Amino acid sequence: MKITAAGLSDVGLKRESNEDYLTIDNSTGLYIVADGMGGHQAGEVASRVAVQIIQKNVNNWITKNSPMVDLFDFPDMTLSQRGNYISSSIKLANRVIYEMSQEYTEYKGMGTTIVILAIMPSTIIAANVGDSRIYLIRGDTMEPLSKEHSMVAEQLEMGLISEEEAKISPLRHILTRNLGSTDIVDADVFEIEHINNDRFLLCTDGLTDLISDDEILSIIKNGNDPDYICQQLVSEANKRGGYDNITVSLICLNEQNDEKQGIIRRLGTFLKNKK
Amino acid sequence: MARVILVFNKKVIKEYPFAKDSMTIGRDEVNDIVIDNLAVSGHHARIDKTGDTYILTDLQSTNGTFVNDKKITSHKLLHKDKVIIGKHLLFFAMSKQEQAKAKDGELDKTMILDTARQKELLEKQAEKKAMAVSAQKGKLGIITFIDGSGEGEIQLTKKLTKIGKAETSEIRLGGLFMPPTAATISRRPNDYAISSTGGRTKVKVNDQVIKESHYLKDFDTIEIGSYKFQFYSQDSKDEK
Repeated sequence: MKITAAGLSDVGLKRESNEDYLTIDNSTGLYIVADGMGGHQAGEVASRVAVQIIQKNVNNWITKNSPMVDLFDFPDMTLSQRGNYISSSIKLANRVIYEMSQEYTEYKGMGTTIVILAIMPSTIIAANVGDSRIYLIRGDTMEPLSKEHSMVAEQLEMGLISEEEAKISPLRHILTRNLGSTDIVDADVFEIEHINNDRFLLCTDGLTDLISDDEILSIIKNGNDPDYICQQLVSEANKRGGYDNITVSLICLNEQNDEKQGIIRRLGTFLKNKK
Repeated sequence: MARVILVFNKKVIKEYPFAKDSMTIGRDEVNDIVIDNLAVSGHHARIDKTGDTYILTDLQSTNGTFVNDKKITSHKLLHKDKVIIGKHLLFFAMSKQEQAKAKDGELDKTMILDTARQKELLEKQAEKKAMAVSAQKGKLGIITFIDGSGEGEIQLTKKLTKIGKAETSEIRLGGLFMPPTAATISRRPNDYAISSTGGRTKVKVNDQVIKESHYLKDFDTIEIGSYKFQFYSQDSKDEK
């Protein structure tokens, strides 16, 4: 299976610094995006720390094939072993950022969102805390693989407000979960089987606040090269104002079709001979 | 700067930024926040700001003032508190800086109890975890075999359920042509979806062969090889 990936993080047109952070690791199939917050550039520290802690620990546990009891905090029995590595590393990152924010005055109030995509031979794992997103683009559709942890998203889900109201709601940037605000946090984690030609988009709200899902899908469908698509997305967001930092990462899967066909041919021959 | 958001019948009526040191609420026109409703007193309540603290006081109103469903006379407002006056909801929102400051205030007080509180939190977490597996938010998917093979019911507790011949499959099916994994059912943010692995064994939902993946609705029938089962979901609170 071949993975082609690209990512771009842009400060936008209105902010002084870029508090988003991203990492792309094709060798381990791990892709992470984070949107930091906090005064005096504490946001930059939060997003960076989160990404580095998660990357380091997930890779470490994979190398050692660590049993669940060795992880940080209690295991989640609804997840696979890899799912637990990811879920646990998120909790660890959260605890570290939380402690830092308590310990140092310059880090008070700092936090970050996180979205993670892990790609394995037959499945992928999507995990998130906060309002940054992961989308699966399959065929002609784009569906979210993240749960949005924001005030308006929860109101929307409970049927308290409509989609139009959500878009203009004064509460729309209030997060109900992020890394760093509390000592314990739960991520939303999903595991699914991937299919040839699946594409995944990780992004911060700097993109989705300005461009609708349909428009994003159309930009993705109109391009082939992940680098080009990322540039198009960022540039479009800036054209529309660039009010926040904008970070996007696009990962494309291209399975080798030959493998599967080979197996079917062999099975066919085997059955013929059995007769 | 904090804000008070006035909501009625789930619709946001008006947003009031906290520009002064106090805001009054009531039916009378002289109030900062006027609520024209018979259940609201002329001068119903007041919010005073001192430093970073916001105090809500009921002004001996006829029908009372409620915060997060509790009747109050005087209450220190926290970010996301819901105030009910008459039939109106006033949502109190602090800015991120104010939230951070408020949090500091709280922590100074609990520092002394740190270890005891930590232990308490850890115990609560252990309880929560034990419950979390059997009481996840949202619905729990269930698969029932309907071909008389007597397999009964299988709960889809895992995020990814593998179906096939492999020993590691959550749902094990036998048969000469059954591949190690014939299909998978994955939990998505809102629903369950079944995916075919694209092998020789076809996966049918409601008699239609599925190509890649298909979102499952209650009572969909699934056919894999010679097996037939039905999917439905229930609120996880009820399941054992």
